Amino acid sequence: MQRVLKAEAWRVGVAALLLLVILPGLNAFTPPDSFFHISDFRINLYGKYLCYAILALGVDLLWGYTGLLSLGQALFFTLGGYMMGMHLMRMIGDLGQYHQPIPDFLVFLGWSRLPMFWKPFSSFAFAVFMAFAVPGLLAGLFGYLAFRSRIRGVYFSILTQALTYAACLLFFRNSLLMGGNNGFTDFKFILGHDLRSAATQRALYLLTATVLLLVYLGCRWLCQTKFGLVQMAIKNSENRVLFSGYAASQYKLFVFVVCALIAALGGILYVPQIGIINPSEMAPDKSLEAVVWVAVGGRGTLIGPILGAIGINALKSWTTRAFPDMWLLFLGTLFIVVTVFMPKGIVGIPEQLRGLALRFKAKPKIEPAAIAKVNERDA
Amino acid sequence: MKSTMNKWLARAAATVVLLTSTAAFAADTIKVGILHSLSGTMAISETSLRDVLLFAFDEINAAGGIKIGDKSYMIEPVIVDGASNWPLFAEKAKQLLEEDKCAVVFGCWTSVSRKSVLPVFEKDNGLLFYPVQYEGEELSKNIFYTAEAVNQQATPAVDYLLAQGKKKFYLIGTDYVYPQTTNLILYKYLQLHGIALDNIGGGLRKDDNGKVISAGKYTPFGHTDYQQIVAEIKQFAAGGDACVLNTINGDSNVPFFKEIAAAGLTSADCPVVSFSLAEDELRALPTKDLVGELGCWTYFMSLKTPENKKFLANWDSWLSTENHPGVIKEKRAMDSPMVLSYDGVYLWKAAAEKAGSFDVDKVRETLESGDIAFDGPGGKITMTKNHHATKNVYIGDTRANGQFKILKSYDQVPGEPFLLKGLDEKVAAMSK
Amino acid sequence: MKRFLTWIFLAVGVFTASVSWADDSAIRQTLTQAILTEGADQQKALTDLADSGAKIVADVLTAWTHDGVFIYAAPDGSKVPVVLEDQMDSQGRARAIKISDGLPLKDDKGAELRYASGDLNSADADMRLRSAIQQTLDALALSYPDPEARQSAALKLGNSQKLKYVPILQARLAKETNAEVRKALREGVDLLQLTSPDSAVQLSAVEDLTKIRAIGSLDNLKRLAAKPDISPTLARALHVAIKAIDDHITFVNFFGTIFHGISLGSILLVVALGLAITFGLMGIINMAHGEMIAIGAYTCYVVQNLFGSGFGFSITLPFSIGSKPISFGAHLPGLNATGTLYESYFLFAIPLSFIMAALAGLLIERTVIRFLYRRPLESLLATWGVSLVMQQCFRMVFGANNVQVNSPSWLLGHFSVNDILFGYNRVFVVGFALVIVAGTWLLLTKTPLGLLIRAVMQNRAMAASLGVRTSRVDMMTFAFGSGLAGLAGAFLSQIGNVGPSLGQTYIVDSFMTVVLGGVGSIVGTVCSAFGIGTVDQVLQQTTGSPVTGKIIVLVAIIVFLQWKPGGLFSVRSRSLD
Repeated sequence: MQRVLKAEAWRVGVAALLLLVILPGLNAFTPPDSFFHISDFRINLYGKYLCYAILALGVDLLWGYTGLLSLGQALFFTLGGYMMGMHLMRMIGDLGQYHQPIPDFLVFLGWSRLPMFWKPFSSFAFAVFMAFAVPGLLAGLFGYLAFRSRIRGVYFSILTQALTYAACLLFFRNSLLMGGNNGFTDFKFILGHDLRSAATQRALYLLTATVLLLVYLGCRWLCQTKFGLVQMAIKNSENRVLFSGYAASQYKLFVFVVCALIAALGGILYVPQIGIINPSEMAPDKSLEAVVWVAVGGRGTLIGPILGAIGINALKSWTTRAFPDMWLLFLGTLFIVVTVFMPKGIVGIPEQLRGLALRFKAKPKIEPAAIAKVNERDA
Repeated sequence: MKSTMNKWLARAAATVVLLTSTAAFAADTIKVGILHSLSGTMAISETSLRDVLLFAFDEINAAGGIKIGDKSYMIEPVIVDGASNWPLFAEKAKQLLEEDKCAVVFGCWTSVSRKSVLPVFEKDNGLLFYPVQYEGEELSKNIFYTAEAVNQQATPAVDYLLAQGKKKFYLIGTDYVYPQTTNLILYKYLQLHGIALDNIGGGLRKDDNGKVISAGKYTPFGHTDYQQIVAEIKQFAAGGDACVLNTINGDSNVPFFKEIAAAGLTSADCPVVSFSLAEDELRALPTKDLVGELGCWTYFMSLKTPENKKFLANWDSWLSTENHPGVIKEKRAMDSPMVLSYDGVYLWKAAAEKAGSFDVDKVRETLESGDIAFDGPGGKITMTKNHHATKNVYIGDTRANGQFKILKSYDQVPGEPFLLKGLDEKVAAMSK
Repeated sequence: MKRFLTWIFLAVGVFTASVSWADDSAIRQTLTQAILTEGADQQKALTDLADSGAKIVADVLTAWTHDGVFIYAAPDGSKVPVVLEDQMDSQGRARAIKISDGLPLKDDKGAELRYASGDLNSADADMRLRSAIQQTLDALALSYPDPEARQSAALKLGNSQKLKYVPILQARLAKETNAEVRKALREGVDLLQLTSPDSAVQLSAVEDLTKIRAIGSLDNLKRLAAKPDISPTLARALHVAIKAIDDHITFVNFFGTIFHGISLGSILLVVALGLAITFGLMGIINMAHGEMIAIGAYTCYVVQNLFGSGFGFSITLPFSIGSKPISFGAHLPGLNATGTLYESYFLFAIPLSFIMAALAGLLIERTVIRFLYRRPLESLLATWGVSLVMQQCFRMVFGANNVQVNSPSWLLGHFSVNDILFGYNRVFVVGFALVIVAGTWLLLTKTPLGLLIRAVMQNRAMAASLGVRTSRVDMMTFAFGSGLAGLAGAFLSQIGNVGPSLGQTYIVDSFMTVVLGGVGSIVGTVCSAFGIGTVDQVLQQTTGSPVTGKIIVLVAIIVFLQWKPGGLFSVRSRSLD
C-alpha cells in the first residue's frame, strides 16, 4: 500500500512539474524559433484541454465512483462559464462596437440601460460566487427531487439530458437577455489585465493546471474517506447500502452537487481562455462528449478522465485540421471500439494485456495438470 | 514532448496536403486559410463555400498564381473544420493565424462564428473575408465583409414590395442576432413608410418604457413544427395585400415552406420573401410548389451576363476534373454566398498584387482605398473604406427549376453596416 | 409550362357570360391590346376581358404570367404578341401563333417562322400587373370545375375593391351548389359592397359578414370602423361583426390547436415507437435511433430519384496512393417515370425505408450492440459513436446539403371545415401513426415472434433455458425497432428536411416520449406522445412563442417523473434493480 502511494506521489509530482513548470517555462523562456518553444497558441490550447479535464473529473466522480451517469454535466460547466462571462462582459466597458456602457447585444436588442440582474456582476467576487451558487443550487434542487423519488440508472441519465436540453433552448432565446445564440464574446479584461496578452493567458493556464491538480487531489482524498467508501458501495449495490442503514440519497445528492461545482470550476476557467461562451456549449451532445472522454480514458480511476479529456481533444484538434472530412469517422469508430473492447479505457489497457498474457501463459500450465487429474480419476 | 509530437504530426499532415494538392510547386507558395463547418448542423450551407474557394484557388494557381513584385506565389489552401462548434472556430482561427501563419482566411457563415473569431483576428492582426448576408452593426478593422448588408438585401426587397402595393407585412425569423436585428430595422423602415403597427405581423415586444425591442415571430434553430405559425399567417393574409418577410435560417425553411404549400398560401396571395434562402438551399425545397416566392441577393445563378456564363462554365468543368476530397459533384448550384466568397478571393488577390505584399496592414490599406474592384459573376464589386462592398442588388422570384427569375435590379448599391441609429433618428423626427 | 397550358385547356370550363362579345376576333384584339399597352389602357383592356368568358383569354393570360407570351419584333417595327405551339421540332423550336388572329407567324415570303422559347423576348409582367391579370383570371375562374379554384377566385375578387364584380359574383351565386364556394361568394359580394357609397348596402353587407363569420373581412371591417364619418347604426353593426368574427377566430384557433396537437403527437409517436422497442423493451440506449430515421428519409430520396432520372454519388478519400486520390462512385439509372407512376414513388418508398433501416439495425446489432446487453449505459456511448459515423457517411454519400424530396400531389393541399385547416399530410400522419401502432401491437401480442420477443425481454435467462435462441430474437427485435424508425423517416421526409443531421432533431424528444410513457409500455408511449403534442401546441398558442412551450413541456416532464418515476404506465416488477 505504502509503495503504491509512493509511486502515485511520484507520478503526480512529475505531472505537476510538467504542467506547472516545464510547459509554461518553455513557452515563456525559449525563443519562438527554438525547437523546444511552445507557442502562445499551444499554451492556450492546453489550457482549454485542462478545463475539459476538470469537467471530466467531475463526470468520473459521479459515474465511475458513484454509478450515476449524468448527461447534463456540461450544463453546470456552461452555467459557471456564463456567470464568469457576465462579469467579463461588464469589464468590456464602452469598448464594444457601439461604444455604449452596456453589452453590445443589449444595444441591438434595443436596450438603452442595464437590466437589474446584470448590475451586481460588475463585481468579480459576486460573479465567482454566482458561478458556484447557480450550478450548485440547480444541481441541489434537481438532485434533491430526483434522488428523493429514487430515480436512477437510465432514467437519471435521460432526465439530466432533458434538463440540459431545456436549459439550452432557454439560453438560445434572446429575450432571456443572456446574449441568445451568440452568447458572450469579445472579452477584453480580467481583473485589470488584458486578456489578449500572452502573460495573462499563461497565468490563466497556470491557474487552470493548479486547479486541476487540486481537484485531482481533492477527489483522491474524498475517495479514501469513509464517505468515498459508501459512495463506491452505492455504485455496486445501492439496495445493500440502504439496508445497511445509510441514507443513500443524501450521499448521492452531496456527490452530485460536488460534481456540479467541479464542472462549474472548469467553466469559470474555460471562458476567459476561450473568449466565448454560448448556449451550444450546453447542448446534449457536449455532455455526451465529456462522458466519452471518461470512458476512453478509463472510468473509476482518477487519472483516466484527465488522460481521456486531453487525448480526445488533442486528437480532435489535430484531425479537424488534417482530415477535415473524415475526422468524425475516426472519432466515432474510436468510441465504438473503446466501449466494446476496452471497457476500462486507456488506463485499463495494461491490465487487459496482462490478463490476456496470463490466460495465454496459463494455458499450458493448467492443461497437463488437469489431464493428469482426469487420468487419475479414470484410472 | 506533446508540442514536438504535435509539430511532427502537423508536418506529416502538411506533407499529405502537399501530396494531394494538384498545384505545381516550382513557385513559392502562400498559405490561405479556409475556416468553415464541414460537419455539424452548419455543414449543409458551409461545405459549398469550401468548394468554391478551392475552385477559386485552383483557377488562380492555374493562371500563374499571385504576382508580388516579380515573384509568383501559388496559393496553398489550409482547410480546417469548425464543426459548427463556436469555441472550435476560435481555436481553429488561432491555429490558422499563429501556427500556419495564413496570409488571409476566408470563412464563417453564422454571425456567432464570426463573433467568436473576431477577437482572435483582432489580437493576431489577421485578415478575414466574410461572405454571407448579415445584420451589420459591426465593423472590425480585420474583417472585410463581401456579404450583403441589410441595405443591400432586406430594405431593397421591402421597397420592391411596397411598390407592388403590399400593405401588410408578417415578420418571421430564427431567434438569433441576424433576424432580430434585421427585423428591428425592417420594423422601423416600414413605420417610416407609413405602415401601421396593426399591419406588421408576428408580434412586438416592448421594454418597460414601451420602446419596441423586438419585432416578429421567432422560432429556435432546427425548428420543425410550423403548423400554428402558418395558420396565423393564413389569417393575417386573409384580407389580401399581405406578404411575409422571412429570415428563417437554412434548415427550418423546408418544414416552413412545406407547411406554406400545404396550407394553400400561394405566392399570388401572399408572397414570401426569404433572405437566407439562395439557390443552394432551394435544392432541398419542393420548388415546384414555391413558384413565385421572392428572394433578394447580390447574385443569381440565372444572371445572363457573359461574366456569369463564363464563370459557371469554368465551375462546371472544374467540378468534373477536380479531385479534392469531400467535394460532391452531382446536382450543384451556385448562389450569392458562394460568389461572394469567390469575389473575396479575387479582391484580396488584387489588393495584395497592388500593395506588392501579403502584409495584412498593407493589404488592408489598399482595400480601404476604394480602388480595388473586381468584375465578378454578379457584376462589379468594389471594396470600400467601411470594409463593405459596393455591388448590384437583384430581386427575383423562384421558378420550378430552382432558379430565380430576375424582376428588378439596383445598380451599385454601397454597403452600409450601421442602419439602426439612423433609422431611430428618422422615426423620431417623423413622430415630431 | 407547355404541359401546364394543355392542362389549362382541359380544365377550363365553358363560361356563359352576361355580356356577349361580337366574335372571337374582338376578344383577340383586346388581348393584343392588353399585352402591348401600358398603364390605364392596359388595366381597362384587362377589366374588359374579365367578362369575355372565352377560353382563349384564360389560356393566354395564364401563359403570360408564366412567361409564355412572347413579343415578336416585326421587320416593320411593329410588335406582335405570339405564343409558341406545344409541338416542337427536333431543334426544340415551335411555330409561333399570333394572338391577334390565331394564325401562325410568317415571314414576308410566307414561310412559317419557328422559334425556341429562348429566341424571343417574353412579355414582361411585374407583380402589380400579375395581380391585375390574376383578377381577370379569377373572374374567369369562377366557373372552373374545381371548387377550390372557384372559392379562392371569389375571395380574391372580393378583395379587389371593384364594385363592378358584384353582378358577376351574384350571377355565380345563383348557380353555385357547393356550400364552401357559396360562402366564399357571399363573402366576396359583401366585401365589395362594404366599399359601396350607399350606407344601407354597407349595413346589409356587414350583417351578412357577421352571419358567415368571414375571417378575411376583419381587416376591412376594422378599417371601416375606424372611419370618422360612419353612421351610428353602421358603427354598432360593425362592432357586433368584429366581435363575432373575433370569437370565431378564437373558436377556430382552439380546434385548430387541438388538431395541431394531435398531428404533432402522431409525429412524436411515429418517431418514438421504434425507440419504445429498442430502448423500452431491450434496454439499449440507442443514440443512433435518429440516424435510423435518417436512413428511412434518405431511402425515400433515393427511391424518388430512381423513379425520376436516377441517383449518383461519389466519394473521394483524403488519402492518396502516390498523387492519385482514392475515389469511388456510382450512378444508378432511373425509370424516368412521370405522372401517376412518379407520384406513387412514396408508396414504394415506405416499405423500402422499413427494410433499409431494419437491415442497418441488423448490422449494428451484430457488430456492436450484442456485446453490450449487459452494460446498457455503455450502449449509449457505442451507439453515439455509431451515430457520428453514420452522420458523416450520409455527408459523404449524399453531400452535406439537405436533399430535395418532393411530396406526391396527393399529400399536398388541405381541406377546411368551418375555417379549420386540415392539411392532407397531417391527416395522413395521424392515420399512419395509428396503423403502425396497431401493426406493432398485433406483432407483439398475436404472433409467435411477438411472444418470443416478450419472453426474452422479460427474462432472458429463463427464455434461454427454455430453448429460445435469445441472440436471434435480440437481432430480430432490434431490426424491427430500427425498421419502425425508418418508417418514421419516410414520413418525416414529407414534412421536413432530409439531411445528415435530421436524426439529431428528434433524438431528445423521442427519449422523453418513451420515458414519460413508461419504459417498456407501448400504450404509455402512445399516451405520452399525444399528451406532449397537445400540451406543446396549446402552450405555443397561449404563450405565443414556439420555444417557450417546448421548454415548459420539458420541465413539466422532469417534474412529473419525480412524482411518478416509472412514467405514465410503469411496468410492475418484483425485482429490485
